[in-house]
Amino acid sequence: MTDLAVQFAGVTKKYPHFALTDIDLELSTGGIMGFVGANGAGKSTTIRILMGLVHQDCGTVDVLGHAMPMQQAVAKRDVGFVSEDMRLYGPLTLAWHMNFVRSIYPGWDQRYAEDLLRRFDLKVEQKIKGLSHGQRVKAALLLALARRPRLLVLDEPTTGLDPVARREVLSELMAVLADEERTIFFSSQNTLDVEQISDQITFIDRGRIIESANKESFLDRWRRMRLMLPPNAVLPRLPGIVEVGGSARLPVLTVSRFEPAMVAACQDAGVAVQAVDAMTLEEIFIVNVQNRREREVA
Amino acid sequence: MNTFIVTRLILKDWYLNRPLFVAALFTGLLTLGAVSAAKGTQIAVILGVIVLATILIGMGAVIMSSMVNERRQQTLPFVMSLPVSYLEYTTSKLAGSLLIFFVLWLALLSGMIATILVTPWFPHGLIPFIVIMAVEILVTTSLIAAVSVTTESQGWTIGVTQVGGLALNAVGFSIARMPSIGHTMSGPTIQWSSASIFILLAEFMLIALMIGIAFYVQSRKRDFV
Repeated sequence: MTDLAVQFAGVTKKYPHFALTDIDLELSTGGIMGFVGANGAGKSTTIRILMGLVHQDCGTVDVLGHAMPMQQAVAKRDVGFVSEDMRLYGPLTLAWHMNFVRSIYPGWDQRYAEDLLRRFDLKVEQKIKGLSHGQRVKAALLLALARRPRLLVLDEPTTGLDPVARREVLSELMAVLADEERTIFFSSQNTLDVEQISDQITFIDRGRIIESANKESFLDRWRRMRLMLPPNAVLPRLPGIVEVGGSARLPVLTVSRFEPAMVAACQDAGVAVQAVDAMTLEEIFIVNVQNRREREVA
Repeated sequence: MNTFIVTRLILKDWYLNRPLFVAALFTGLLTLGAVSAAKGTQIAVILGVIVLATILIGMGAVIMSSMVNERRQQTLPFVMSLPVSYLEYTTSKLAGSLLIFFVLWLALLSGMIATILVTPWFPHGLIPFIVIMAVEILVTTSLIAAVSVTTESQGWTIGVTQVGGLALNAVGFSIARMPSIGHTMSGPTIQWSSASIFILLAEFMLIALMIGIAFYVQSRKRDFV
């Protein structure tokens, strides 16, 4: 029995105008991976491959120990999936959807479903077409969560939600995290959402994974160093400088492998370190993507 | 093949289509009643046949396009999030849609044959022609189902429905002109000629072929959502 809930190895998928290339991903059981990328980066394609809805051209995908897409029907017994483009049947009620899903999943937790109904302020007798976008997302989330899945796959579930609905959805996800056996794969453009709930972050851009590490490591390694360069002083050679901004006299370095020794190295070179600022995940993501794109052009 | 999940999906489609099914059945039976009440008046018979054929072809197109609708209305990701493979999904769609249509088709065909047999206004010799044309509607519906399932395109489905409707007229005209069928249509007894049996067999083979092709194409698809 593997302790990996999701494993991608060398996965490639080519379309006429887009390619997902050499995707390697590992998500341990109980982990929460935030999958971050801009529009068209390949997040949804990766998730569709994960769910067996799109067949990879090469490489292997294992979900809960099952090879995808061949064993998707078995794997999906333990997977709850909600995507931004997922719709329920408009003319039917939420009660019908709950009964339908309950009839398929023996592990359906009716008490939990009713609890979620209250928390999400949803009415079972209401038809889906009468629900707001936020209520529809919550309804889809309820249907996925009440199955008690071992793996929850969420493809941009908070996109298009108002701030209140987004907070409700995120807080419910946080509550789900209390169950350590549940694994979550969560894609979003919103780095704030990802930063809140994930313990592992993966950046994807133009069909390639550009970085994947645990959240703390990301946040610890990336720093902005605000320096003051006296006349005739030269910046020391520091590892992991991703970007040099600011002015010639007051340079701002963005570093991806910060260590306290870098401050000492600057001071030894006669460079004053005015501040070392932590970076948000959004800042890290943007710098990372820009840097990769510039290197590709060069 | 997980028959449990396939059955659940068929029942779901049945539930979604039930208002339309009931309306079509009610209209069809009403039409048969009206034809009987018109005591065999030629215009009533012609109008009745046109209405029944329209109901069947129209309902066939609506039911069979459910796969296109599933994609258009973005409910496909919800269905595919369930423990189902794409082949099981295809099976449920084809079997479910054809089953729903078949029940309606059988009810209206039985009603039509009963009307011919019970009322004194219609020649019983008409029955082989009616059965051949009813099965031809089944062929057209299977074609619509196969195209809808494999292309998932509304445009193609509408196009095939229109072509199927036109082809039905041509087939009806051609069969009615065949001596072994046309000459016995106005007779008092039912006569199954070898030509009518052959046409029926050919129609059923065509249905099987189209369903087979639909499954073959689906099994080779690599991207589903």
